[in-house]
Amino acid sequence: MPLSQQHLLGIKNITAEDIQLIFTTADNFKEVINRPIKKVPSLRDITIANVFFENSTRTRLSFELAEKRLSADVINFSAASSSVKKGETLLDTVNNILAMKVDMVVMRHASPGAPHFLARHIRANIVNAGDGTHEHPTQALLDTFSIREKLGGVAGKKVAIIGDIMHSRVAISNIFALQKLGAEVMVCGPITLLPKYIGALGVKVELDVQKALAWCDVANVLRIQLERQQIKYFPSLREYALYYGINRERLNRLDKEITIMHPGPINRGVELNSDVADSEHAIILDQVENGVAIRMAILYLLANAAA
Amino acid sequence: MTILLSEVKILDPQSPHHRKKVNVLIEDGEIAAIGSTRYRAGQVVDGKGAILTPGWFDLQANFCDPGEEHKEDLTTGRAVAMAGGFTEIAVLPNTRPVIQAKNDIEYIKRGNRNSLVQLWPVAAISKDTAGENFTEILDLQAAGAVAFSDGLVPLWNTDLLRKSLQYVQKFNGLVIDRPQEQWLSRFGVMNEGVNSALLGMKGVPALAEDIAVARDLQLLEYTGGKLHLANISTAKSVALIRRAKKKGLQVTCDVAIHQLLYTDDNILEFDSNFKVSPPLRTAKDIKALVKGLLDGTIDALVSAHQPQDEESKNLEFDQAACGMNNMQVALPMVLMLQDRVPLELLLTRLTTGPRAVLGLPGPVIDKGAVANLTLFRPAEKWQYDARTNLSKSANSPLFGQEVTGKVLAVANNGQFQQF
Repeated sequence: MPLSQQHLLGIKNITAEDIQLIFTTADNFKEVINRPIKKVPSLRDITIANVFFENSTRTRLSFELAEKRLSADVINFSAASSSVKKGETLLDTVNNILAMKVDMVVMRHASPGAPHFLARHIRANIVNAGDGTHEHPTQALLDTFSIREKLGGVAGKKVAIIGDIMHSRVAISNIFALQKLGAEVMVCGPITLLPKYIGALGVKVELDVQKALAWCDVANVLRIQLERQQIKYFPSLREYALYYGINRERLNRLDKEITIMHPGPINRGVELNSDVADSEHAIILDQVENGVAIRMAILYLLANAAA
Repeated sequence: MTILLSEVKILDPQSPHHRKKVNVLIEDGEIAAIGSTRYRAGQVVDGKGAILTPGWFDLQANFCDPGEEHKEDLTTGRAVAMAGGFTEIAVLPNTRPVIQAKNDIEYIKRGNRNSLVQLWPVAAISKDTAGENFTEILDLQAAGAVAFSDGLVPLWNTDLLRKSLQYVQKFNGLVIDRPQEQWLSRFGVMNEGVNSALLGMKGVPALAEDIAVARDLQLLEYTGGKLHLANISTAKSVALIRRAKKKGLQVTCDVAIHQLLYTDDNILEFDSNFKVSPPLRTAKDIKALVKGLLDGTIDALVSAHQPQDEESKNLEFDQAACGMNNMQVALPMVLMLQDRVPLELLLTRLTTGPRAVLGLPGPVIDKGAVANLTLFRPAEKWQYDARTNLSKSANSPLFGQEVTGKVLAVANNGQFQQF
């Protein structure tokens, strides 16, 4: 069974069956990358361009590793060293890359909908590696995959997404993925960082982080995206850390164990304290490992969907 | 030169021939005869199935000239206007340079003498539309400015707005504001709502407009004078203006045609042709706007014609420029509203409504009157595409589609143009 889409633009566009297919494929690849010889020939002769118009370290590394483990040829393009600064449009840039006969494009861009825009204009499989504050589908898939691995399933689980929901592409994609897999979702943070109409997406809204922790099975703690905030949303990082930061003391007040996730990079001491981030409850590094397997699965499935 | 419009149905509540099917004879720019006689004429236009109304007036168009002539200029703007059924246009001051000195007014009006389409320049209220200092309002009025407005730029400076409303009273002038509170709308690229949450885009809340409308109306109550609110988009705006009119304030308002046809659902695929300002709102807002049209709260329908070239529009949604290229398809767009608003009422919002806002006399379809006319066939279909488009730009969601409702001819200023 192939994927229902030839691009991965967002979780909104894919079905629960697509997600299950990605998961079972990722299970196989996870087994592969734990072998002594971690490489398979699945994408030999496929050229993939990683086009990053925004800074990224881990997402790009994770994609690059996934591509190389699948034996794809990889080229990297980042905006900092590119012609984008010379005023070239997104379309021109990508068309130039495609003229070099590239089969797939993995793109990160600051504008919501940029990969959708590209998909209308070019012929290549596109994987959205984060479009502004819209979606980050591979992150949501690796997050839900990690929950499935840790808790044995996603359906019926309670997941609280905590922090800067407004400037987070991880939040929206996670909400869609979790709901498609039957989980219950809550968002929690200072109200100024929650979109006013977020409740209409069928999520619970909570302003008190302790109550959110008490409700959930899994807390997915988001990074405070200071770089994406164009104006003031809360008074200070100190106050945020005091009232929304998650630390050992908050977890000790619960009468249960919960799982802690974070998409990275962590602002240690702001949204997450080291005594939690490095504890046995945190699956943050599992997320990173699963990220490679999930991305391998997506690239493999899209390459086959195209053929 | 004589022209016969044969078997046309007249829709003009001011005319003794309202709702009648007649022959209309035009001679030397005047209506020489109206009746059932088949007059002899040098040129005959078959008006079967067509409607004749006074020439349409667009209260708000941007012809991008001077400064952005690659998007539109006064010549293509006039051509688009004629094909769209408009014989008179109030053009916005948002050009480069801004329309703010009497030379600028002269530049806009220069072509009027020899053109069918008459342009009425709206002059800026503040220098460079920056909202800081006045333009020379009296001098601009003497040169022919029809109203005062910073056009697409909302008047953020409350004191400047207050003083403008007062200053123009010397000549019973009109101030036009595009109401939008600047702080609440900063960085917004679409309506704030469920869809903006879904798309991860910054929203412009309806509240930003509601607050500005409420502020403007309170100022008007304080200053007296005449105020027009352009491009209203929210349910609350309609309610506030309705109440102010009941109170006796001299306030008028208009709505852009696209605002009644599309909602923020149209943005879900990130099509930047739907990026406009104020942003497309919700079905609930449309319902209130339609009600405002029906009960007379909304005085005029405007094209809000805003041409944008490929380089400004065919971009990532948040990077794309605002505006829709509406003028040539204004009729098909207006006709899409027929299921909710009677055609006769819609037409008055394109004819008498906008002229009354500016205090201009309306042309009447009667013997001896000036021939300022629009003839159209509502059922005729045509393809709106690169072949038929007269604008320099093509930023319309209808571009490339078959549309219904075709302008057959326009007459004004002693000239006649048949399509």
